[in-house]
Amino acid sequence: MTTPATQLPTTAREAAPAQGAPIKELSDLAVLIGGQGGDGTLTVSDLLARYFRRRGLYVYTSRNVLSRIRGGHADSSVRASRDAIASLKPTVDLLVAFDKEALEFGRPELEADGFVLYDSSVFQTDLPNTFGFPFATMAGSQLGQPIYKNVTAYGVISVMMGFDPVLTRTVIEERFKRRGGEALEKNLKALEIGRRAGLDASEPMHRYSIVDGDAHDLRLLTGNQAVALGFVVGGGRFFAGYPITPATEIMEYLQRYLPSLHGVVRQAEDELAAINMVIGAAYAGARAMTSTSGPGLSLMTEGIGHAGAAELPVLVADCQRVGPSTGEPTRHEQSDVAHLAHIGHGDFPRVLIAPGTVDDCFYLTVDALNIAEKWRLPVILVLDQALCQNSSTVPGFDLTQVHLDRGKRLDPGEVAARPAYKYYEHTPDGASPFAPPGTVGITSQVTGNEHDEYGHVSVNPVNRVKMMRKRMEKLTQLEPELPLSRTYGDPKATVGFIGFGSTTGPIREAQERLLAKGQSTRFFQARTLFPVPARELTAFLEPLERAYVVEHNYVGQFAGLIREALPQYHAKLRSLVKYDGLPFRSPEIARVVEGG
Amino acid sequence: MVDSAKPIPSTWCPGCGDFGALAALKRAMAELKIPPHEAVLVGGIGCSGGIHNFLEINGLHALHGRLLAQAVGVKLANPKLNVVAVGGDGDGYAIGMGHFMHAFKKNASILYLVMMNETYGLTKGQAAPTAPLGYEGNIERPFDAILAALSQQMPNFVARTFSGDPKTLTRVLVEALEFNRANRGFAFIEDLSPCVTYNDTFKEWREKVLDLSTLPGYDATDRATMFRLYLETLRSGRIPIGVMHRPPPAAGEVESLELKLLPDRIGPAVTGIELEPNRETYQKLLAAVG
Repeated sequence: MTTPATQLPTTAREAAPAQGAPIKELSDLAVLIGGQGGDGTLTVSDLLARYFRRRGLYVYTSRNVLSRIRGGHADSSVRASRDAIASLKPTVDLLVAFDKEALEFGRPELEADGFVLYDSSVFQTDLPNTFGFPFATMAGSQLGQPIYKNVTAYGVISVMMGFDPVLTRTVIEERFKRRGGEALEKNLKALEIGRRAGLDASEPMHRYSIVDGDAHDLRLLTGNQAVALGFVVGGGRFFAGYPITPATEIMEYLQRYLPSLHGVVRQAEDELAAINMVIGAAYAGARAMTSTSGPGLSLMTEGIGHAGAAELPVLVADCQRVGPSTGEPTRHEQSDVAHLAHIGHGDFPRVLIAPGTVDDCFYLTVDALNIAEKWRLPVILVLDQALCQNSSTVPGFDLTQVHLDRGKRLDPGEVAARPAYKYYEHTPDGASPFAPPGTVGITSQVTGNEHDEYGHVSVNPVNRVKMMRKRMEKLTQLEPELPLSRTYGDPKATVGFIGFGSTTGPIREAQERLLAKGQSTRFFQARTLFPVPARELTAFLEPLERAYVVEHNYVGQFAGLIREALPQYHAKLRSLVKYDGLPFRSPEIARVVEGG
Repeated sequence: MVDSAKPIPSTWCPGCGDFGALAALKRAMAELKIPPHEAVLVGGIGCSGGIHNFLEINGLHALHGRLLAQAVGVKLANPKLNVVAVGGDGDGYAIGMGHFMHAFKKNASILYLVMMNETYGLTKGQAAPTAPLGYEGNIERPFDAILAALSQQMPNFVARTFSGDPKTLTRVLVEALEFNRANRGFAFIEDLSPCVTYNDTFKEWREKVLDLSTLPGYDATDRATMFRLYLETLRSGRIPIGVMHRPPPAAGEVESLELKLLPDRIGPAVTGIELEPNRETYQKLLAAVG
């Protein structure tokens, strides 16, 4: 069926910009779309992201919603750039406001010469550089449903930014092709209504032109999706979890990916059940994971300690949000780090791995699975809301870089050739060989009580000391296999940054800003948080005059861990913390250096 | 012969009801010819939970109250394993209550054997959720797990036994294990297993138990009938035992969790996870995202 929209002509006005309206060329731009939850702001940002990607630009998107299904202020933003980006742009070029609240929320972020596009059927404003269109009324009267106001607005945006009309339409077809029928047809009509209104407006609307980029064949993914994909290719086959923002998508993706691979995904009755189901599956020999956030992590602490004592390989993805308690479920923080480094009662080894980019989320999940299985201990993927839920363009994942290491896992033939099989056998490196239950000819005993090599409960003091050393020694032995940090910037710089997780993007951008002003810096992106990478940090800190530990919590938790491990650098370390629920933007980081 | 974990002598008090359950479990496993390496016993925390050490079997000693979650994890990771969870009534009905009720709903084919003695023996005799009024100053009415099990319309096997009658216990265990092995779902047995040290109810229970199957009109496939018989028996001052729910085989319908998820019974723990057999699937998956 041919809809009127597919015959949309390119008008003379579009081809030749109206006189008197200067057109700004953008190679790094941000659009913020705000309104009430349910206004469809996410659809607009999705369409824009699709459009910009087809223009060869790198894209970074973020959303800001309240913890409720509908209503309340919600916004989403799209940044597109010729350069690879992994953070929000400090300012917004175009603000699209479906209600007055969105205008108030977004205006402080608006570039000095930025524009506002707003729904004049909802509110009016006399502010300069604002354009009102009655989006809801337009969609309501011409399409019968005001909900199409979002795509109508996209139509006006396409005029403002001088979009290619064919490509503008293509991304709508791409977005709605699966739903097809009426949804596709009406959205194409909504686009036409918006475009027509933009082209026919009394004021010239064409204000921007977008520079083409050369980033093609990239994927736009969130950290959560990349963790789920990494889990699958890393041989992860069992997942149990409990819905919690901002971790739930990991479970949802795995529900799609795992069933065709003899994998199992279960939504448990609570986080206690989730971690214990994972423990059971790990005992049986599966690569198993759960994902959660602060409140769920508190409940899982019991199970993580059990996995530590019983030497069971479990992987926990912790998508940090604002805490303590329920905190702010949809907002960003990195305040579980101290808890994670010391998680559980008693002493046992645990490893904290911190991906800093969507790319890292994929490859480091594989590493985490390898370390957990080989060393038979709990491993935690330390993630944060911005990393988990914001999306960025990354190159396709490369399977040739994926390697599985199952450690001392024994096949039935190897078991039969042994004189003995003991689940807690003492070995020089602390890791015991493993044969899953079901292996002919042997039985094993696994327990969270202190135990002897056979897994029988023991309170013998000599045995206790030997078993404690067996478990704790693993932390030293596994060190060479931990993900290495990455360093960026000038090796001769005297000022440094230390960060992890989603601060990687803004710190790197802050480095660029500072360099543009003649200030060179060096950045240590920690990809293992615990055991604290003391050797690498020593090499990094030694030549520096001072280093800022950049993190999202009140007390400077990671800085505390570093100080504990490397007290000699106490005087060099400074904390740059942010705990307002929002991710760092690069000027906030650059400023701390500029200020001395 | 590979040397591996062997049974150790029990740590239970002489005369403990749990010995009856241990003996019956051994006999039932032998009768069904279940080899030790194909069975996993998930033990709870408490006297009864140590049972995995006292017989030749794979043991997973769980956290307090979490044995059912761990047992379901084992079963879903490898449905070919026979999975038996054993714990006390404090472990199952107090700290583990959430997982207990959800086990009926999940309906994985595992056997849950609760050794019920109304007390916390290992911590020296505090009131369990099943303790009668007045026991150790208890002022809360006791929880009844059989009524809880019967109250849900789930296709589970439900029974209560008395460890003073190991013959019947063995017979019921065999039926429950067969139910599991046919992948028909969850089997729950509450075994009345007195604590001779802190709550010796052997004599009282022996006198009071009444097997409902001896009553006229007994029909374990009918929930309403069993509810009525159970409550009437309680009201008459007796303790109802016997098979309380025995779901009729559903014609062609898959009921157990593991078969719904893994129809060919090849689970996450035994499937090939190396890159090579999966490369094509992975490539398709990675090509389709983002």
